Amino acid sequence: MRAAIEAFDTGADVGIVSKLHPTRSHSGAAEGGINAALGNAAEDSPETHAFDTVKGSDYLGDQDAIEILAAEAPGDIYQLEHWGCVFSRNDEGKLAQRPFGAAGSPRTVYSADITGHVLIHVLYEQLMRRQEQGPLEVYEEYFGWRLVIEDGRCVGVVCWDLVKGGLKLVTGKSIVLATGGMGRIYRATTNAYACNGDGMAMALHAGLPLKDMEFMQFHPTTLYPSGVLITEGCRGEGGFLINRDGERFMARYAPNALELASRDVVSRSETTEIEGGRGVNGSVLLDLRHLGAERINTKLPGSRELAMTFAGVDPIYDPIPVRPGAHYHMGGVATDNWGATELPGLYAAGEVACVSVHGANRLGGNSLMETITFGRRAGQAAAEQALVSPNGRTASGAASLADAERDLKKLLDRSEGERPWKIRDELGATMLENFGVFRYPDRMESQLDTIQALRERYEHVVVEDKGDVFNTDLTQALELGSMLDLAWVMVQAGLARQESRGAHSRPSDFPDRDDERFLHHSITRWEDDAPVLSTEDVRMTKYQPEVRSY
Amino acid sequence: MQVALKIWRYDAVKGERALREYEIDAPEEATLLDCLDIVKDQRDGSLAYRKSCRMMICGSCGMRMDGGAVLACKVRMYEIAQAGHIPVISAMGNLPIVKDLVVDMGPFWGKIRAVQPWLEPGYADPGEKENVVPQERADAIHKESLCIMCGCCVSECNSMESNPDFLGPAALAKGFRFVGDVRDQATVERLQSYSEEHGIWDCTRCYFCNERCPKGVDPRDAIAKLGAEAMSHGIDSDMGAKHAKWFVTSAKTTGWLRETELVPKTQGIAKSLKEVKFAMGLVKHGKVPPPFPPHVAKHVSEARALYDLVKEQEVDGADGIVQTEKALGHLEHAADGGEAAQRGPYGEGSFAKPFLPGEEPTA
Repeated sequence: MRAAIEAFDTGADVGIVSKLHPTRSHSGAAEGGINAALGNAAEDSPETHAFDTVKGSDYLGDQDAIEILAAEAPGDIYQLEHWGCVFSRNDEGKLAQRPFGAAGSPRTVYSADITGHVLIHVLYEQLMRRQEQGPLEVYEEYFGWRLVIEDGRCVGVVCWDLVKGGLKLVTGKSIVLATGGMGRIYRATTNAYACNGDGMAMALHAGLPLKDMEFMQFHPTTLYPSGVLITEGCRGEGGFLINRDGERFMARYAPNALELASRDVVSRSETTEIEGGRGVNGSVLLDLRHLGAERINTKLPGSRELAMTFAGVDPIYDPIPVRPGAHYHMGGVATDNWGATELPGLYAAGEVACVSVHGANRLGGNSLMETITFGRRAGQAAAEQALVSPNGRTASGAASLADAERDLKKLLDRSEGERPWKIRDELGATMLENFGVFRYPDRMESQLDTIQALRERYEHVVVEDKGDVFNTDLTQALELGSMLDLAWVMVQAGLARQESRGAHSRPSDFPDRDDERFLHHSITRWEDDAPVLSTEDVRMTKYQPEVRSY
Repeated sequence: MQVALKIWRYDAVKGERALREYEIDAPEEATLLDCLDIVKDQRDGSLAYRKSCRMMICGSCGMRMDGGAVLACKVRMYEIAQAGHIPVISAMGNLPIVKDLVVDMGPFWGKIRAVQPWLEPGYADPGEKENVVPQERADAIHKESLCIMCGCCVSECNSMESNPDFLGPAALAKGFRFVGDVRDQATVERLQSYSEEHGIWDCTRCYFCNERCPKGVDPRDAIAKLGAEAMSHGIDSDMGAKHAKWFVTSAKTTGWLRETELVPKTQGIAKSLKEVKFAMGLVKHGKVPPPFPPHVAKHVSEARALYDLVKEQEVDGADGIVQTEKALGHLEHAADGGEAAQRGPYGEGSFAKPFLPGEEPTA
C-alpha cells in the first residue's frame, strides 16, 4: 500500500493486486513498533541507528541501504503521523519511543502493542482518500501466481480470481512485488496463513535471483502452544526471560544487553536452555509480573489478550510460556536501493525483497520501517519508470494465460492422489527440526532428501474443490508448491554457508563467523527445475566487521 | 479431543443451502478456526471460509456460531466439545453470502467509505515534526482505533437488519475515530453528515454490536459519543437528538421522563398531530398520565444535583463518555483475574520470583 500511494502521488495509474483485502495483510500483526532515530526519548542519530543495524545484521547487511533507511526513517514517521497514525505519546505529547533489542537508544516508535495494525489502517485510509481523486483500483482476493515477461521486461501478473474464479491477466508498465514472507514453511511460526513466499517463488521461477535465503529469523517470544507473536516490546518495557527455576538466564549469554540482546542471540540462548532441560514444556517463560497491571494494560494490552486467549495465562499474575518460532525472512528477491530488480519493470519491497538492510539478522522494529521507507522508494521508482514507458500492452499475455490455464487444468483434473495437508505439515515439522535455530550438516542433508521426497509427492497432489467460487483449496495447493521450492533454496544455501552468522548457526561444525570466506551474499537462481547458487559482495561504506557481542 | 460441528454450506452457483455435520479429532488447544482447517484438510476440501493471521488482528474470520458473530480464531473449542455441544457455524448476517462462510464485504466497506475515513488535517504544510498531542487526548479514540473491520458488529446489527441503508456500527465507530482525533479539522462537517438519515440516530441501542465485538471497540458507545458531540456542537435537528435532549430536560426539571411531551418534543407539533388518534387510544386505556401539572419526583433535587455536578466538571460531548469508560475499566480490572488475582503475582502457588544468576533464588 505504501508503494501504491507513492506511485499514485507520483502521477501513475495504479492498481493493487492482493490475495487478501489490504487491511488483512500480515503487516497488521506487527506489534512492538517501528524504528526511527527521532531522539524523543534519549539522544539518538541516524548514524547510531545505522551502526546498530549493521552490527545486528552480523555485517551482512548492505551498508548503503542501511544508511538510507536510517536517514529517511524519521521523515517517513512524521509523514505517517501527519496522515493520522495513532501513535503512543510521551509526557510532552511527542511520539513515544521504547527500547528494543540491540538498539543503542530507545528508538522504537509504537502504538501500545498494535503498531502494525494502526499503520496498515492509516495506509488504507490514505488509499481510500486517493481513490476519491483518481484511478487506484484494488483487485481484492486476486491470487498472484506467475509473472509475465516479454522482451526482457516484466509486463504483468497471471492471477486467480478467488471470488469469481478463473485466471485473470493484470498488466502494468511496472510491477512492485510486496507479498511478504514465508514463515508458513515452518510449523512453529508467528506468520499468518497467507505468508507462503508467493512473490519470492514468482520471481524465482521467472529467473530472478533470490538473495540470502538461508537466513530465517526465529523470534524469541512466540506463544506456546499456538505460536502467535508476543512482542519484543514486552522486553522493551522491562520484561524478564526466565527458565524453569526462575533464573534470568540471559545474563549468562548476553551479560550487558540481557533480554534485549539481538533476536538471534536470544533465540539461541532459549533453545540452549530448553535443550538443556531447563525449560517448561519445551518453552521458557516471559515474566511481566513486576511491571504491574497498570503498565501491562496501557503498554501491552494486546499481548495480555493473546496470552489470556491462547494460553489461558494472565501475565499480570503468571509468566507467559514462550519459545522461538519462525518469524521473518531476511532474504528475498534481490533489489537495489530503489527496489528495482535485475528485470526491467519489476520492483520489490518489504519482506519479499532483500535490499539488504537486515543481512543475517534483523533488528526488531526495522521491518515495519523497511516496508515504509523502501515501499515508498519502490513506488516512486516504479511510477517514474512507468510514466516514461511508451507501451502498456502485452502481446504475450494471452500465451502466458493459456500456459497457466493448461497447468491449472492438469492440477484440477487430477482426482487420484494425495491431499496437500500432509505434505504441508511434514514440510513444516521437518524444516523446524532440521533447519531451525541450530543447524547441523547431517540434518540439513537429510532435509534436502525430505524436500525432494515431498516434491515428488506434490506431483500427485489432489485438489478436491473443482469449483470457481472462493476455491482456497486450489490456492493453498499452489502455495504449497511455492514453499517446497523455496525450502530447497533455503537449505541448499544453508549447507553452502560453512560458518555461523546471524540467524544461521552451525554449532557443531562451523561455530564462528568466517569473514575470510563468507562475507558475501548467497545468490540463488532457478535453472532447469533446480536452484543454482552463486555469491555477491556485500556493499560496505564505513563499518568494518567487528566481533559481535551484546 | 473429539469435536463435532454443524456447518451451513452454501453453493452460490446452484443457490443451495445445506446443514452438514462434521466430526473431527483436534488438539485440546484448538480454536474454531483450527477445527475448520481440519474439516477442510481431512473431510471436505471445498469448505470455504476466510482466514489469515489466526491472532485476532487481521479481521478475516468473522462468522456466526450458534447464531452470534465470532472471530473463529478467538473461540477455543475445548469447553464446547467437553460439554458435548455441537455448535452451528454459519456465515455472518446482514451481508450477502458468497459461498459457505464467506460473505461479500463490499457493502461493509461501502459504508466505511461513506464516513470519509481519513484524517482531514486542515493544513497544507504539516511542518517538519510530529503534531504534539497529549496521550490523554489520544486516548479519546483508543477503543475505536482497535477496530479490525471484521464485520461482527454489522452482522449482529438489528437496525441494519430492518434498514440496510443504516451506516452501521463499524462505520460510525470509524467516524468517531476521526471526530475524536484532535488533529482532525472536519468535526462539524462530519457530525452534520453522520447526523443525517441512516446515521447516528438510526441506532436502536440494542447493544448487540458491543456484545459481539471481539476487540472491545464497543461501537454503540462510539455512536453515543458521536451523538453527544453532535449535540454539544448544536447539531441537534434530527428527531433522535431531540428525543435524547428531552430525556435530559425532563430528568433535570422533574426527575421523571415526561413521556406525554416526548412525542411533540421529538417530532415537532405538526408531525405529532398525526399521532393524535393513537394518543387518544392510549389515553382511553389509561396509558397516558395527565400532562399538567407535571409529576415531580419527590427527590428531584438529587436529579438536579447530579445534572449540576456533571456540568461543573465541564466534560461535554464525547469526553464524558470516555471518562466513564475509563472509570468502568478500572472497576472491571479490579474485579478481573479470578483465582490468580486472589493469590497475586507472587502469592502461594505462583511461579518462582525471577533472579539473576549468582543471586539466591527466592521461594
